[in-house]
Amino acid sequence: MKRAPGILPWGICFAIFGIFPLVFALILSFLSYNPLRPDLTHGVGFANYARALTSPSFWHALRTTAIFVIGTLPVTLTLAYIVAALLGRLRRAEGFFRAAIFFPATLSMVVIALVFKTLYAEEGLLNGWLAGAGLPRVHWLQSPSLALPSIMLMDIWASVGYYAILILAARKTLPEEQLEAARLEGLSTLTIERRIFFPHLRPVLLFVVLLNTVRSFQIFIEVFVLTRGGPLESTLTLVYHLYERAFYHFEMGYACAIAFLLLALVGLVLLAQRAILGGEPDAAAARARVPSAPALEGEAAA
Amino acid sequence: MGAESDRRVALFGPERGLAPSPCPRLRPRAKAWRELRRAPPRPPLRAYGISTSLATALAILLALLSGCSPKSSKRTVVFWQFSPTAAIQPILTRFEAQNPDLHVQVEQLTWQSGREKIVAAIAAGQPPDLCELGSTFLPGLVADSTLRDLTDSVADLRPSLVAWDVASYKGRAYGIPWMVGTRALFINEDLVKKAGLDPAKPIATWEDLAKTARAIATRVPDAKGFGMNAGEREILFKKFMPFAWGNGGDILDSTLTKSVFASRANLEALRFYLSLKPWSLLDRQEMHDEAFAKGRLGIIISGPWLLRKIPQESPDLHYTVALMPRPPRDRGKPASFAGAEVLGMFRNSKHVPDALRLARFLVRPENTMPLFLATGNAFPAAAASAADSYFVSHPKDAVFLTQLKTAVGPPLHPRWVEIEEIINGELEEAIYGKKSAEAALQSADARIQAVLTQAPSP
Repeated sequence: MKRAPGILPWGICFAIFGIFPLVFALILSFLSYNPLRPDLTHGVGFANYARALTSPSFWHALRTTAIFVIGTLPVTLTLAYIVAALLGRLRRAEGFFRAAIFFPATLSMVVIALVFKTLYAEEGLLNGWLAGAGLPRVHWLQSPSLALPSIMLMDIWASVGYYAILILAARKTLPEEQLEAARLEGLSTLTIERRIFFPHLRPVLLFVVLLNTVRSFQIFIEVFVLTRGGPLESTLTLVYHLYERAFYHFEMGYACAIAFLLLALVGLVLLAQRAILGGEPDAAAARARVPSAPALEGEAAA
Repeated sequence: MGAESDRRVALFGPERGLAPSPCPRLRPRAKAWRELRRAPPRPPLRAYGISTSLATALAILLALLSGCSPKSSKRTVVFWQFSPTAAIQPILTRFEAQNPDLHVQVEQLTWQSGREKIVAAIAAGQPPDLCELGSTFLPGLVADSTLRDLTDSVADLRPSLVAWDVASYKGRAYGIPWMVGTRALFINEDLVKKAGLDPAKPIATWEDLAKTARAIATRVPDAKGFGMNAGEREILFKKFMPFAWGNGGDILDSTLTKSVFASRANLEALRFYLSLKPWSLLDRQEMHDEAFAKGRLGIIISGPWLLRKIPQESPDLHYTVALMPRPPRDRGKPASFAGAEVLGMFRNSKHVPDALRLARFLVRPENTMPLFLATGNAFPAAAASAADSYFVSHPKDAVFLTQLKTAVGPPLHPRWVEIEEIINGELEEAIYGKKSAEAALQSADARIQAVLTQAPSP
């Protein structure tokens, strides 16, 4: 309490812009509330939640979101790991490549989406290259089966660099002596990655998984700029569905109920991920024991 | 090893409390660190906290105070609109000069987020005094009794402005028509010629359109005949309904209580529209505009903004603008979609008389023409503007004025947002071949009827 004045400005801002909207949205989720007709607001109990759980659109949007999360998370994580490993091995121009890889993370997602909108156009650059190579044009955003993968591809491109730098920073904290010892023992690069780096990086990998999961469940800007949920609702994600209900149909209470269902779902997924991948990041760090050189002898011999 | 350590220090900074480094390259840094530790002690954290808090609070207070100007005798009218500020500001400056007791605080909205901002302002009880509203957004606001009834206040303006039906509900005006817009047919004459057809022969009927689109797509390499909108569900009805309206079809009956969407006229129109698909480029409107400007698309339905884009990007393109095609020459009409920008006031708008003064000023032809010339997107709703010499020297723009005479707006029904969503969804399924034209129309008809049954009587 003694240090309260120090955090007061932050605390006030957090209360106004964090706590208050959260509580207000929770209250709204139990109301029928049209912002244009606040005088008609009335309580509906759990009806908004029941409506969402029985709505085909909600389940369709949830399915699309789940496909997006499942499709992007492993690819992003794997690529980020590989890129970090490659960057860690660079002996020249590491700074340049690190900056180049991180560059997409400095751009606004709106800007990235607008650039990809042009790239993916029927008459765009990608189709130009395909046509130049004598290949048929691809309907990147117009085909119901390709629109979501196209957005996923863009999202992976935009995210890999950021996560790669996080993983790279964690790799740099591994004592060089351990690596030297492992190399002297004749361990292969793959074994070093598997037995030394991977356990060391486990806490940061867990952090990356959790962060990327939360981000992926919230996918909105990409859909808003590129496809608006189409074609044939193939890119209708949960947050975009929520946005449509709130700002096109003015069903704020229902939209808030969807938001809290999403919150609960993300919370459950994060808990499951943490349980599967190693619990608390600190605990994971403690468990990530680096094997001693003698312990690795057998493997080196193999 | 040494280089690696240096890199690590550079990346993560020196670690406090480390023993003196055995590495000679790190010793000077360790010395500097020890000197730093001998420096006078810093003030306690609590003192920092209090002083930082006070400084922040002071900064916020100053920032708030700086926003307050000395009390002025002028009254402020808050005006939200979508045109670039550079285009509207000269008009507002003239207004302020003629009305020295008023100051206009103008804010530019964007089409991407304007709706959300307006809804949020209404919800917060702080709407602008005067606001530009699109005709497709209007029905929802009227239905929710959010807009002020302006019928009696602007009765004298009725003869001088067009498109009152777009802003009226049950005979009452809830907005003042400001700018109007429509779509027409853009035809690439070079591609028509390359396809072996006579570019001087107008495309006046559906048959002409299909024949020309097919010829371009099949005879000109790397070119498509027609631009069919896809991947942007929200505008499909604007592209299909002109064919249906032109064929005598409609969405609702005249009482707005019954769906007529599965009519024979609509079915013929949709079958014709879908028949263009093999020769079409399926993409979003902006990509159609782009492909047309680059000379790779023969015919598209587009708006006046393309008239400004082509001279900048493809000054050598030979093209013409024509009215939308009608079914056969002896039947139907060359219909198109009519949109309008109206000036509206909300129920809890403040300064209503002042806002009305501004609205009356803005809709005058001498003020709407400069705005049209600056933006080029929509035409003045002032009837007198049609006689402006600009349209004599710019015949392609004049085509849009002619097109406006047979353009049709969406029905001003309280549940229009849902009806529009149903139509767009079913049209998309038909365009992607998931449903036949007949099945899509019948499904849409049943769903619209269900919405109408739930809706209060209009």
